[in-house]
Amino acid sequence: MSLLRTRDISIHFGGIAALDEVDLSIEAGEIVGILGPNGAGKSTLFNVISGFLKPAHGRILYMEEEITHLLPYERVGIGLGRTFQHVRLFRNLTVYENLLAAQHRHLSSGSFAAMLRLPGWRRDEDQAHARVEQILDVVNLRPWRDARPGELSYGTTRFLELAAVLSIKPKVLLLDEPASGIQQKEVEALGPLLKQIRDETGVAILLIEHDMGLLLKTSERIYALDFGKIIAEGTPDEVTANDQVLESYLGRTRRKSTATA
Amino acid sequence: MTTDVLQPVTTQPAEETSSDEKAERPRWRPTRGHLIAAAALIGLAALPIPFGDFGFFVGQYALIYAIIGLSVVVVTGYAGLISLMPYSFAGIGAIIVGVALGSWGWPFWLALPLGAVATVPISILVGISSVRLKGLYLAIATLTFSNALGETFFKWDAATGGAAGWVVERPIVGPIDFSSDISFYVLCLVAVGLLVWMVEGLRTSRTGRAMLAVKDNELEAQALGINVYRTKLVAFVLSGLIAGFGGGLLALLLITVTPSAFQSPLAEATSILLVTLVAIGGMDRAIGPLFGAVALVIQQQVFQGAEFFFAFVGIYAAVVLIVFMMFRPGGIVQAGKRLVEVTKARPALGLAIWAFVLITNVGGAWLFLALS
Repeated sequence: MSLLRTRDISIHFGGIAALDEVDLSIEAGEIVGILGPNGAGKSTLFNVISGFLKPAHGRILYMEEEITHLLPYERVGIGLGRTFQHVRLFRNLTVYENLLAAQHRHLSSGSFAAMLRLPGWRRDEDQAHARVEQILDVVNLRPWRDARPGELSYGTTRFLELAAVLSIKPKVLLLDEPASGIQQKEVEALGPLLKQIRDETGVAILLIEHDMGLLLKTSERIYALDFGKIIAEGTPDEVTANDQVLESYLGRTRRKSTATA
Repeated sequence: MTTDVLQPVTTQPAEETSSDEKAERPRWRPTRGHLIAAAALIGLAALPIPFGDFGFFVGQYALIYAIIGLSVVVVTGYAGLISLMPYSFAGIGAIIVGVALGSWGWPFWLALPLGAVATVPISILVGISSVRLKGLYLAIATLTFSNALGETFFKWDAATGGAAGWVVERPIVGPIDFSSDISFYVLCLVAVGLLVWMVEGLRTSRTGRAMLAVKDNELEAQALGINVYRTKLVAFVLSGLIAGFGGGLLALLLITVTPSAFQSPLAEATSILLVTLVAIGGMDRAIGPLFGAVALVIQQQVFQGAEFFFAFVGIYAAVVLIVFMMFRPGGIVQAGKRLVEVTKARPALGLAIWAFVLITNVGGAWLFLALS
């Protein structure tokens, strides 16, 4: 039984098929990479899985239950976390407040409890603050506790974003180019880090990454996507040896270079 | 920063720690914020004394404007939804309290909550129909709602008492007769203190943080599991409740409640004035409207005798709003904080600014006395 599965997902933008009958699945605790050139539909696929886009056709199954109709926040509620290709975060909130906001899912007290300082609110606040204090130490963001994301290096905001999305304790984590814009040294550490996160939490990770080294080293299984279609699936070795993948990935650049030459 | 430190993020469930944390949590101690709030309340309690009864009358206005202003803090300051109809919500509260006291003969402690709750259907209606709108479009939509209410509810004679309106009596509770301006001023002060405390509490809660998150970035809020739609609705409803309660107090202040104040264009004009005073005072802190209301109402009273009063208040409000939005988006609250910082870093400059602020304010107060 797969943890998350898409069936025949299709979506069109102005007559162009951004996704064309995409079937993929991910097991609990698996790290699955998605390979594909720019415009292949990778981020669109993430938007469909996380509920930010409605597919024209197809279904999304999570633990064998259909979740196609669920809104993005409801999918977070059942354990689907995601990051964005461009770091979002809350720009006007501090690092601490960002992490506090990420605790939302684990709290339950209402607005009147807060306005009247009822015990339920107190318990929630204690729990949320204790967790964030802990996370700050673990991710080594304490020196930036009161800084706003704009004051951090891009790499640091990536880790803040990762810490925030892990705070929701997802069962499936969709990472959209986590290595883009960060230093090479940090990129190299990211692979082992993702594996470690997986080992310690059992989270399944679906990974979009342009850094081929990272993608191939980290993923246990890879789907290759081109023009919205899955053109190959298998282990990193199998996929990189696939003719169609070579054609779409390397062939295109070859063609391009001959054209410009 | 190195990455390997990120590792156990995920693993530590905090459930175990929360019980320990609780035991370790220090006993309640007043923070600087509490002291400032206490000082502000005491200062406000004393402020009208030199001006006698008239001071208390003006003070009641300022405090009730501050309460209605708190509704703006919730919906605009916290949730980022620009609503230009706080005075219409206050109007609903005022009319309902008017009819409950003046016609049905309800006790005031039942009438005031009813006035607040009566706003809920309208809040939900506005919330549902404008939840997808933002910024300018939302502002225009709420203006339209304000206008529509003015043409319907506030022209409904059975509810509003028609042109004559309702006449209410201020309550007598035990030995306290609220028909005196001083006791009613103190009542308003207690209400403001309580509501500031409540709205400030909201800020540090699941719902309040969700509002700040939605204001900041709706996509990210959704990605972290926040129900944006519900958060906006809650903001509208809470805001309506506060404004409705403030409107109820306004009815008790005015004694005669007539609907014409809540019809076009007075309702829209007053709403914009309210939003302006909140922006001047500081939108994202609950204490902001209090500063804004005191500043604005004093200005209003200073220029009350002048022919150009209405034009002046309009122009003044617009200019001050623009200046504040450009240089101090956090309003007086932020400006005050900044001034404290400046004084610490460069005492001479800081003290000079303090002196300037004091002198201009004392001068304003003198002018106020001379004109009134």
